[in-house]
Amino acid sequence: MQQQTDQALITAVLEGNSSAYAELVNRHKRFVFTMAMKFAKNREDAEEIAQDCFVKAYRSLGSFKNTSKFSTWLYTITYTTAMSFLRKKRIATYSMDEEDNHLQLENHISSFQANVVEKKSKYAYLNLAISQLLPDDAAIITLFYQSEQSLDEIGQVLKMESNTVKVKLHRARLRLKEKLEYLLKEEVKELL
Amino acid sequence: MKRIEEQIWDYIDGGLSNKEQEALAKKIADDNEYATVYAEMLELHSLMASVELDEPSMSFTRNIMDKVNLETAPLVLKTRVDKRIIYSLSAVFLVAMVSVSWFAVAHTDFPALALPSFNITMNLQQLVSPLSLQIFFYIDILLALLYVDRLYRSKKA
Repeated sequence: MQQQTDQALITAVLEGNSSAYAELVNRHKRFVFTMAMKFAKNREDAEEIAQDCFVKAYRSLGSFKNTSKFSTWLYTITYTTAMSFLRKKRIATYSMDEEDNHLQLENHISSFQANVVEKKSKYAYLNLAISQLLPDDAAIITLFYQSEQSLDEIGQVLKMESNTVKVKLHRARLRLKEKLEYLLKEEVKELL
Repeated sequence: MKRIEEQIWDYIDGGLSNKEQEALAKKIADDNEYATVYAEMLELHSLMASVELDEPSMSFTRNIMDKVNLETAPLVLKTRVDKRIIYSLSAVFLVAMVSVSWFAVAHTDFPALALPSFNITMNLQQLVSPLSLQIFFYIDILLALLYVDRLYRSKKA
């Protein structure tokens, strides 16, 4: 149903009704922005990436062949754009082995000022743990759990075989669990 | 042999066959280690599945539409590239090539298919003249300018 409606909107855009694109943007903006957040780590850069994705998708809308879901196609653009952004900005990824990790964690937590209430909740810790994963791991987990994409579709987005995605998903979840354990220490026993 | 965690994730994701699914369910029920890992993984799984998506700013869609309205309207590729034009051009070139080949073969005399003999003698004095040197340097300068231009463009990008 959703796919048909997406297709109807795409047809409307291709027939010259560019305002129909606003509906497509509204429908997918939250996930695209969430994906961008996994790479950029701050709202300003994530918004820039997400907006760039939608503009690129608009330019290439004529080449969308409808052989996959529009969301899968859009997430492929999102992943590619976010990776290019990372290469340009060379954002440092966190490692649990680094000595100044505690300082980084504190800084990172304080950057989530908007979520002060949520800060101590398990979701805040989970988001924090996901944000400390490698971009590929964070992308796989986000695509699997938050976009309802199958392993095959995630494979299309990340340009990998579905079996590779499955193995990477297993590893990403194990790493996530380790990071959560590290973050929560004693609290993890209560959480898990 | 899969690790316990991998088996449990497959079980939770529903990636096992019915037989394997039943066998693992029995193991979880009987084995304390499996039961503990299963409880942990299931909690993490449901936690990850319930995480909400991030919300972009209120002006997000408006900003995109402002940018989109400056773009050229997208067109379906089919309307942009008419295959009939490509086929017509191909046909014209094919006919031209066949005609020229046929004409060349028809007007060529093959005297017993003998290979012609080549007498290659080079006079270097004639080749290295002031004019040829000038042409050589001119091409070199042109290539250098092209290279610098390309280098500058790539740095600018």
